[in-house]
Amino acid sequence: MKFEPIPIRKGKAKPPAYKIMTAKEAITQFIHDGCYLGMSVSAAPAALIWEIVRQRDRIKNLSLSITSQIGMSSALIGSDLVNKVEMAYNWGGIEGEDKVFRRAVEKGIPRPLEVEDYSNYGCAMRWEAASMGLDFMPVKSQLGSDIIKYNPRIKVIDDPYTGKPVALVPASSPDVGIMHCARADEIGNVQCYGLYGNTDLLARASKKVIVSVEEIVTTAEIRRMPNLTVIPYYYVDAVVHAPFGAHWRESNYYYHHDLAYGLDAYRQFATKEGFDAWADKYIHGTKDWDEYCKLVGYDRLNRLRLSESKYQKFGEVR
Amino acid sequence: MAEYAKDYSLPELMAASVAREINDGELCFIGVGMPLMAATIAKFTHAPNFNMMVEYGAVGPSPRRLPMCVDCAVNNERAYYTGSQREVMGAQQNGYVDAGCISGAQIDKYGNLNSTGIGEYPNLRVRLAGSGGANDIASSASRTIIMMRQDGRNFVNKLDYITSPGHLDGPGAREKAGLVGGGPHVVVTTMGVYRFDNETREMYLEKIHPGVKLEDIKRSIQWDLAVSPNLIETEPPTVEQVMVMRTLDPLKVYLGNGREVLAGDFEAFMKMFEDSYWPMTELMKSKGM
Repeated sequence: MKFEPIPIRKGKAKPPAYKIMTAKEAITQFIHDGCYLGMSVSAAPAALIWEIVRQRDRIKNLSLSITSQIGMSSALIGSDLVNKVEMAYNWGGIEGEDKVFRRAVEKGIPRPLEVEDYSNYGCAMRWEAASMGLDFMPVKSQLGSDIIKYNPRIKVIDDPYTGKPVALVPASSPDVGIMHCARADEIGNVQCYGLYGNTDLLARASKKVIVSVEEIVTTAEIRRMPNLTVIPYYYVDAVVHAPFGAHWRESNYYYHHDLAYGLDAYRQFATKEGFDAWADKYIHGTKDWDEYCKLVGYDRLNRLRLSESKYQKFGEVR
Repeated sequence: MAEYAKDYSLPELMAASVAREINDGELCFIGVGMPLMAATIAKFTHAPNFNMMVEYGAVGPSPRRLPMCVDCAVNNERAYYTGSQREVMGAQQNGYVDAGCISGAQIDKYGNLNSTGIGEYPNLRVRLAGSGGANDIASSASRTIIMMRQDGRNFVNKLDYITSPGHLDGPGAREKAGLVGGGPHVVVTTMGVYRFDNETREMYLEKIHPGVKLEDIKRSIQWDLAVSPNLIETEPPTVEQVMVMRTLDPLKVYLGNGREVLAGDFEAFMKMFEDSYWPMTELMKSKGM
């Protein structure tokens, strides 16, 4: 015996330290060429995605891990940044057909896009597995369908306890997860209002986490209602203050979906030239999110907020 | 007796027919698109105690404006619960959901649905949205309500891709595959209403929409369609159902060409979105919601 104690082994927790930075700083620091990127859908991290597109000279290849995306992943796909997407859905919802996605899959424009199909719950359970440090999760969706037939990464086994068939989905642990939420403090305790989809799982599954928020608040404010904290600080690497940071999508209780903008964007996405013109104007033509908001118009954004508050305000029933 | 509307469109008839498939008191998982509209109609007319589950983590909302998507802020409105997708998807897999409402691009006689693409996967001629939550709903909801366009090409013998399982290849197939839900119960299309035979699990025509000819329906379906001996005409929408639809969607985003009308027209969108507040609030009160 040498009487040397076992060295201290540290956990993966991110420190309770100051994490606020700009979108540009966060994307520069954490997202690199070849990144396996996870994205939330509810709320959609538009401000962060726009910044990735602005840095496309540096970030040329991404593979995406999503559940469903409505338009936002197409901003990356149309900008010639994405080689592969692991997904359940990439379409327009009420905006309809996603021509950017179709062009990439059907014609390889602007580059060929490999798609790995799952169901929504299948995708969510991939993040759930990673969130608990597991390598797979059993799920009873997808059984009997062609999702399993054509996706060799989903395995059907006989449950060792019941003998019944069950599908196993492999864990998905993105290099970086990006998401948009309601509010956070400076050390990265993140709170959500309303529905948040799989944002909780994505933050826990990802190696690095960038969260954009509508508001930065004090830690004392976080402590008032700690059950609103969907992501505690130890998962979070960067907090980006981005008011209206999900536009043209919604941010619960702050503002609703700007359908007129979304439909117009999808109309432009009908051709590659149309998409490029849209991206040139709204993404490359603005140096940061504040400039994007000015271009869309803060009057318009504030009207979306007022309109949302007519129907509901957090903490009140109307 | 409900008063029927005299003036209504085909999409309105479809949405009303789907709404009627939802019973008061039920808990139903509602998928993206037209099903959201149909569910909202049900909630504000005959089924105020029906509660919808929405994919991105909402239970029991009663939105008084156009529901735009399953991850939409609208789904928080007057909800019982909002939070994670894990909650609603887990509850569904655990058997808590009475019905799920979805749509698809192609269907076969067992109610299997394709929403992934046309052509030979993965080299698809037309890539579509993908499953989203449709596969999960089709897998695990106690019964599935399907709504879709019937365009003469999409009721096929063999799907290009089975995205969402129906009765697969017939009796016993779902159980053998390990699926927990009951599978397709009804299909509402632009031409009629179909159900599934308990013995053969095959689709049959139950109702035909006013003005549609049986021969046209048969011609638009690739297999030899079974027709109920008690074939009846589809019930028209009620005045109240049509009123709700036109209040929520006056520009016909779901029920017509409203997408083209609204694209880029912020003022028209905001007017539509805000004008439904008072009529829907009054209706909500009158239903004791």
